[in-house]
Amino acid sequence: MVAPTLPAQTEINGVSFNANPGQRPVFVDGSDTIVSLFQKRCADLGRRTAHREKDFGIWKTYSWADYWQHAKWIGMGLRKLGLQRGEVVSILSEDRKEWAYSDLGIQCVGGIASGVYTTDSASQLAYLINDSDSRFLILENEEQLDKFLQIEAEVPGLLNVIILEDEGLHDLEHHRCIMIDDLYEIGRQAEQDEPGVFETEIELARPEDTALLIYTSGTTGKPKGGMLCHENVMSGIEAGAHRLPTYDTDEQLCFLPLCHILERNVSIYFPLAAKSTVNFAESPETVFANLQEVSPATFVAVPRVWEKIYSQVLILTQEATPTGRIAFGLAIKAGMERAEYLLANKPVPAGVAAKFWFWDQLVLRNLRRMLGMDKMRRGGSGAAPISPELLKWYWSIGVPLLEGWGMTETAGLGSINTMEENKVGTIGKAVPGYDIRIADDGEIQTKGLNNFQGYWRNNEKTAETFTADGWLRTGDVGRMDDEGFLTITGRLKDIIITAGGKNITPAEIESRLKFSHFISDAVIIGDRRKYLTALIMIDQENVEKYAQDNKIPFSNFASLCAAQEVKDLIAKEVNAVNKEFARVEQIKDFRLIDVLLTAEDEELTATMKLKRSYVEKAHAHLIDDMY
Amino acid sequence: MSEPILKIRNIESFYGPIMAIRGVSLDVHPGRIVSILGANGAGKTTLMKTVSGVMDPEKGTIEFDGRQIQGSEPHKVVQQGIVHVPEGREVFPLLTVDENLSLGAYTSNDKAQIERDRELVFNYFPILKERRNQESGTLSGGQQQMLAIGRGLMANPKIMLLDEPSLGLSPLLVQEIFEILKRLNEEQNMTMMLVEQNASAALNLAHDGYVMEVGRIVMDGTAAALMASEDIQNFYLGVQEEGARETRRWKRKKTWR
Repeated sequence: MVAPTLPAQTEINGVSFNANPGQRPVFVDGSDTIVSLFQKRCADLGRRTAHREKDFGIWKTYSWADYWQHAKWIGMGLRKLGLQRGEVVSILSEDRKEWAYSDLGIQCVGGIASGVYTTDSASQLAYLINDSDSRFLILENEEQLDKFLQIEAEVPGLLNVIILEDEGLHDLEHHRCIMIDDLYEIGRQAEQDEPGVFETEIELARPEDTALLIYTSGTTGKPKGGMLCHENVMSGIEAGAHRLPTYDTDEQLCFLPLCHILERNVSIYFPLAAKSTVNFAESPETVFANLQEVSPATFVAVPRVWEKIYSQVLILTQEATPTGRIAFGLAIKAGMERAEYLLANKPVPAGVAAKFWFWDQLVLRNLRRMLGMDKMRRGGSGAAPISPELLKWYWSIGVPLLEGWGMTETAGLGSINTMEENKVGTIGKAVPGYDIRIADDGEIQTKGLNNFQGYWRNNEKTAETFTADGWLRTGDVGRMDDEGFLTITGRLKDIIITAGGKNITPAEIESRLKFSHFISDAVIIGDRRKYLTALIMIDQENVEKYAQDNKIPFSNFASLCAAQEVKDLIAKEVNAVNKEFARVEQIKDFRLIDVLLTAEDEELTATMKLKRSYVEKAHAHLIDDMY
Repeated sequence: MSEPILKIRNIESFYGPIMAIRGVSLDVHPGRIVSILGANGAGKTTLMKTVSGVMDPEKGTIEFDGRQIQGSEPHKVVQQGIVHVPEGREVFPLLTVDENLSLGAYTSNDKAQIERDRELVFNYFPILKERRNQESGTLSGGQQQMLAIGRGLMANPKIMLLDEPSLGLSPLLVQEIFEILKRLNEEQNMTMMLVEQNASAALNLAHDGYVMEVGRIVMDGTAAALMASEDIQNFYLGVQEEGARETRRWKRKKTWR
């Protein structure tokens, strides 16, 4: 319901927001909850396209009306099956339109949506279902179903499992499992029996009601469910609208896991305000092809993806004709020259602009078209630090790439660079309505409506996360410059105290290492030890290419890591990084992790970052070897 | 172990703009049978063709018996002692069995040696002796395969490259031919490099194995080690993983460890 007195409003790209960001209640086009905004959008936009998804290789469109209808059936169906307000429903699926339908359907009837990574194991699934006390589990297909079947005895609180794809499961008879079509039918029936209930349920939602649980990847200990209420998400939407202009004509590509707050915001919640169209990538493996097909206006990815695209271009140029290579080199040079001005916020001199225009017409325009970035107004990078050189490279080919920062506990968006205010190497300024301070120990602390409610049924951890005066302890260590641009240097709890008593933030060294194309991730070891060492995960594609170009024989991944030349290569990269640090912070020795880790492995998070504690445990023999 | 007789290092081969082999290194030791496994389009046949000189590698080296042979003409490669038994047999259908065998000895002038080799072939494949005057196009698939292998033996090779000897043959015939290959290896100390889709037959015969996927080697080891790997069992040997349901259709992702 629209509150009787709307605070002073301002319009951003056709959507009205509170003129004073950070003011309560947060209104977006007159709505103060996710679900009422959803209802308004679906009613207004009707047949317009909300989503696109590939079906047997052909992009099909699905409207806002479809969105509403299916969310309604899911919400009403779950309610009929026994879902009460304030209870949790888990979603275990790759990105697809039903993910969005379920998310909103659950929330509309007062439920709490919780995403589970498809790479999680059966035992992790059992933990998440029990910890969140889920009543229902919506899962994608038979692969995910088998995880449930393995643990069905361990999750007594779960009433039903809803399966999205019936392929291979026509014969399935299980008293707790139903197909999504059955749920739609139950929902349709419930709607007929009790018309108007769904709308009443939407009205019942209050801004302070918990809307979703986001489990943090938990690099240490068990995952914790971060609770976000409607207000948290609405203020995230507001902050996004201020800093990341999106138009109703924009196309987006959704491919990062929706369980993660970053993609959830970008592909489900922000489009509710912006009315943009979301295209779902077929699978994580087809992202680059889908990117070409969709050619999105905005594209948010993790640094790993930006690195991959960059290396693909490099490999392509190395195999181009000599003329092509020279032209490409000159084009990048002209692009870099222009980027220097753009990134320094200085006007581009006419000569530089003309040179860029020439090479843009000749080379860069085609490159962008080939990559699916020809319509890209803005690229975003988050969830991990990105190398400044890489950012500059994208600017030089005419793709403005901006780095931002946020975490589950800040409802996704904490600070970000914008086209107007951009400082490479920083994570930008705090978003409007959000306060950020640096505590005495260097920790970044935040205050504002974005701050999450706390951890689900874990008051102890929640209390640890907030300071006495109500600021959120992000756990990140960093600094802020005079203009308010933030730089992150590490994680508080990762601080290493060497045997010599020196405090070292490993993340700073690790991200420097990661900026090398040959290193995909690294973990610095050295707590209570005499000196620092590193475990390094090499970038398979680039190191294989290097080995091939330099005639280094290898057969599989392990032999690649064992090759002396590869070790020398990484040693060179490590030495280059060492030069930037003080003596005590230098890496004395390193070992390569010679198993090719996948997202299913415990050592990696779903966003492919190494988990320090697991890596230290799993590769203890490598570590011992270095001391 | 002794020095490898065949050393392949960082080979890259192209079909036009398509890179079929993206950097392959492998070793074959004398007297061993090495099996190359992989799905369609993994680059196995291309690898064979590159070794036998039918295709020239863009990059990399092939060392045979201490000499670099990459890019040599096929007939020169045969003279070095490498024989390639191609996929799909490729016998000369209108020539008799005997004539086909004689063609296999094309590179040799030593009449006595040729006759000794012919006897050796007939010793291993008695059926060819029975059919020696028959046009080889009229032989059964299995017999044609035997003839193709026999024709290869006529060049008195140091190593045989066998491309899909089991292609299109009944399980019983596959068993028979693999039995003979095994005897050839044991009795004549014949070194072999074997490309196969029939992974279980290949791993039972071979001493060592390599697994190729899209132009690269993803796994290698002794045949016994490969057979013990969960990935090989799942994706090549058709072993069903223990699942929650009998009708399970999905497969887990390959990790190659």
